[in-house]
This record gives sequence, C-alpha cells and structure tokens, in this order.
Amino acid sequence: MADHNPDSDSTPRTLLRRVLDTADPRTPRRPRSARAGARRALLETASPRKLSGQTRTIARGRSHGARSVGRSAHIQASGHLEEQTPRTLLKNILLTAPESSILMPESVVKPVPAPQAVQPSRQESSCGSLELQLPELEPPTTLAPGLLAPGRRKQRLRLSVFQQGVDQGLSLSQEPQGNADASSLTRSLNLTFATPLQPQSVQRPGLARRPPARRAVDVGAFLRDLRDTSLAPPNIVLEDTQPFSQPMVGSPNVYHSLPCTPHTGAEDAEQAAGRKTQSSGPGLQKNSPGKPAQFLAGEAEEVNAFALGFLSTSSGVSGEDEVEPLHDGVEEAEKKMEEEASPESASSTPESLQARRHHQFLEPAPAPGAAVLSSEPAEPLLVRHPPRPRTTGPRPRQDPHKAGLSHYVKLFSFYAKMPMERKALEMVEKCLDKYFQHLCDDLEVFAAHAGRKTVKPEDLELLMRRQGLVTDQVSLHVLVERHLPLEYRQLLIPCAYSGNSVFPAQ
Amino acid sequence: MEEEAETEEQQRFSYQQRLKAAVHYTVGCLCEEVALDKEMQFSKQTIAAISELTFRQCENFAKDLEMFARHAKRTTINTEDVKLLARRSNSLLKYITDKSEEIAQINLERKAQKKKKSEDGSKNSRQPAEAGVVESEN
Repeated sequence: MADHNPDSDSTPRTLLRRVLDTADPRTPRRPRSARAGARRALLETASPRKLSGQTRTIARGRSHGARSVGRSAHIQASGHLEEQTPRTLLKNILLTAPESSILMPESVVKPVPAPQAVQPSRQESSCGSLELQLPELEPPTTLAPGLLAPGRRKQRLRLSVFQQGVDQGLSLSQEPQGNADASSLTRSLNLTFATPLQPQSVQRPGLARRPPARRAVDVGAFLRDLRDTSLAPPNIVLEDTQPFSQPMVGSPNVYHSLPCTPHTGAEDAEQAAGRKTQSSGPGLQKNSPGKPAQFLAGEAEEVNAFALGFLSTSSGVSGEDEVEPLHDGVEEAEKKMEEEASPESASSTPESLQARRHHQFLEPAPAPGAAVLSSEPAEPLLVRHPPRPRTTGPRPRQDPHKAGLSHYVKLFSFYAKMPMERKALEMVEKCLDKYFQHLCDDLEVFAAHAGRKTVKPEDLELLMRRQGLVTDQVSLHVLVERHLPLEYRQLLIPCAYSGNSVFPAQ
Repeated sequence: MEEEAETEEQQRFSYQQRLKAAVHYTVGCLCEEVALDKEMQFSKQTIAAISELTFRQCENFAKDLEMFARHAKRTTINTEDVKLLARRSNSLLKYITDKSEEIAQINLERKAQKKKKSEDGSKNSRQPAEAGVVESEN
C-alpha cells in the first residue's frame, strides 16, 4: 500500500512511514491485508512507480473517509491492532513522542512544507495520512504553512530535505513558524522520528545506532564500586589520550555482569557469552570479544539488568524486583569471583584457559580454567586488590559459593553440545569447586614462596607455566594478545603512551 | 660449526640415553625388591614404562624447580623449592619436611662444632680445621 515515489532516501523507515500513512486503521480487517500488501510493497522498491500507481487508487479509496478525524483516531484504531507490527510500534513511538519539538531546526521544517506545497489540496482534504505522492525532490518553493497536516509525510521529506538544507546552509527561518499552525502533534511526531537520526547522521553517521547512555551509567558505577582510587590517576592520564577509556570500562562491566548472574535468565545470554568467548578465541574477541559481547549484552536486556543490579545501581532496565534478588546472589558471586579472581590476574588469559578447558576437562588434566574466563572481568580490576583470606578460613557460605559456579557449569554444558544429566552437572560443579580451591591454594603458596603476602601476576604466570599454557615459546603476553579483548590487553601489557607515560605502571 | 652442533647434539643424546639407562636399571632393582616383598612379578614392559615415566617426571621436576627458584628471585634451587614441589602429596610433603628439618639440624650442629673448634684451636689450626669441616660438609 505504500506508494513509492522514488526518493533519494527511500529507507526502510521512510517506507514504513508511508505504510503507516496509507494504511487505514479504521478498518481493522483491512489493515492486515494492507499491511501485508504494504510490506510486500516495501520489499519491492524496484518499481515504485507501478506500486504507487496501484496503491494510490487503493489508498485514495481508503483514506477518503476519516481523514478529518485526525491522528487521534488513527492512533486509536491502531491501538485495536493487537499484534506488534512495525506499524503499531511506530505509532506508539509517535504517540509517546513529546509534543514540544526538541530538535526543530528551521531548516528541517522549511523543507518539509516545501514538498507539501505540491499537494495542498490533497493534504487539506486528508489531514491524516495521505497519498504519499509528494514529490520529494521538488525544491522548496513557497509553501503553505498549513501543509503540515500530513505529519508522517513530513518526516520522510524532512530527512531528505534536512540533508539538503544542511548542504545549503539552512537559511530559511520563517517557514517553521508557519508550520506551527499545523498540529503540534504531527510536528512533534515528525520530530521524534527525525530527531534521533538527523543530528547523529550529520555528526556521526557511523555511531548513529549506538546506545552510549546506557554504557556510561554502567561504567561509572562499576568503576566506583570496584576500582580503587589508586587506579584513578592512571585512568585520568589515559582519558586524555586514549579513546578506549569508555569502552574499556564498559567491557569489564559487561563481562562482569555475565558471570555474576547466578542464573542468566535467558539461555541465550549464556550462549551469547559462550559465543562471545568462542568467537573471541579465533580473532580478537572480546571475550572476550569486546564488541560483539557488548552488542550481545546490549541485546539481552537481562544481562544489562543484571549488570545494573550487580553494580547496585537502582536505575535498571528491569524492575527493581529483578534487581534485588539478583543483587544478593550477584554479591556473593562477586565475592567468590573476587576470591578466585583477585589472586589471579587478568593475565591468566581466561580465553586460552577456556579454549583448553574443553579439550582438557574431559581428560582429567588439572587445566580446566574455563571458569577463570568468566572471572576475567573481575581480574584486571581486582588484580591489585589483596586477596581475601578465604583459602585459609572456613567457608561458611557453601551454597552461594557453589551457586556461583552454576554459570561455569552452564558454560560447560553448552560446550558439551549434548544434553547433560543433572548428576553430571553436579559432578562438574564439584570438580570446579575443587579446582578453584586448588588454584587459590597454589596461588597463595606461590605468593608466600616469593616472600609476599599479595598475589601478583607473577604468581599467576607461574601457575600458568605449570599448567603448560605459558611455555618458552608462548609467553603470557602472547596469550593475552591472543585471547583477551583490547581493553584488557591495555591493562596487562605495559605500553608507552604519549607524554612519556607507561601504563600500567611497572 | 654445524658439525660441532651435530656432535654436541649427539653427545647430549647419548648422555640422555645413559641417564635413561641408569634410571631404568634403578627402577628394575626397586621393582625386584617390591616383587620379592609382595610376591608379585613385574613384566619388562612395566619396568620400562615406569622408568620412562620417572625420567619424564624428573624433567618436569627440574623445570618446575628452576621456575620456583626464579620466582623467588634466586639462582639456586633451595629446599623451599623442593617443598613447594612436593606439596601436592601430603605424605611426600611430610617426609620431605622431616628430612629437611633433619638436614637443617645437622647443619646447625656442624656449625656449632665448627665454632667450638675455632674457639678452642689456635688461629693456625683453625683454618685447616675449617677447611676440613667445609670439606666434610661438602
């Protein structure tokens, strides 16, 4: 149903826009077919002319009736549609858009009325959606202020026109006021769609879709919670010169969130972690593949919720209820991870350990360090924390301690590629428990052997050497480069930066 | 140069073979003792396997000991390194700890004797005595 005038920017959004405009929600039965037709039409952008010709008549027939009713009717009708379609989503978005125009560059408004000037009559007849036959490419001529009625139309036009205006310099400023006559709702609706895209498209087209806000929150809280102030100065030094400071702090948070969740609600979250770690193996992952992991995490809302809960920030995507019960489990998991992770430094290359884990775990070799992978996010941050004296003291919290291993167990079952019995999983958990206890004992002994009370990365390197992961041919830095994401590599491998500073400080 | 390297390689190899042979012989003797004790026979393959295993494990031990010593920023392997190596097996650790204490005691006694002798003897007699003590210790 969408008519497809060949636009310079016939993006899916614009096409969807047209669908929304042309489809008549007043006839609930119709929209289904209309939608289907519209979608089909959307796909066939090759011959917009033909489609427009066909849809024009249909749309005209459609749009005759209740145009005057206005957008509210539109919205109500759309509300009747129960299925979540792009149209309903778009409509909801438009509905909830603020009325005040946040971003109302005069230039944007100016071009919008211009195309509409072409069809003044049509627009006035149908204040709601209308045949989208407005020739986009028409240069902005004298336009009637009242032509703002077709809000959605404006949107599409606005985009292209805005870009044109940007190129031209945007000198018009009178049109916008004229447009004010039009329903503010439509205008605001137009804006909501336009605003997020336009400024970013102008400034940073490549980053238009990133959700930076969310990450910033996580990072800040995470840093506050986990980092010592001793780490602050180097970060300050870094922030001046390093572009990675944001993602660096972001990725640990993401990683941290994943293992910290006692039960990642969605299996896909763990699989995402597994996939992430897997993909991290071959190339630079982020493993833990930093970027894919972050994206995956971004997609899994639960993960973010957990992250937020873990960071004990109340502003969570999920409700507080979800955060609360998780928080305790997360805390304990965190403590346990700290206990395991703080002795180990991030240089334990969790990735390599995990890669080997699935080779060696089945063989009773003392090398399953896969779990260490998950504790990887905690490691770089906790490496400088003194290890908690858990290995010597009793373990009063056995259950939560074991509960923290469930994540590793799930990873194990994922990599087993076959269904596993519960008994088997329990055995795996026991083995992991023993393994981690042993690991921490070793690290403690190594530290004591060197006359220290703090576990340092050297101890961990010694452990890895004994495990056979670090050899004379393969050094620790090689493993770090191979398996850890870039952000961790920054923390582990000393590198000289501008200003004659070396980070991390030796 | 290449010939030298080759001969060196060969020498090392033959040296290694001799070591392996020595280990094999010792393992064989021990196995015979055990066989007499338990009235159970050992096949040749078993002895060969045990000797091969022992040899490789000795290599591992040596590497680990060197790593431990370097970890403690030393260039000499110490009894501490050995104890660290043996910590896995409780009985072995206990045995080694006892032995090390014994050795430490002997050393202390020797030092005490040395001091006694040096106090009693004159200067001239002290030096040969010390040398003798040192030699005996070595």
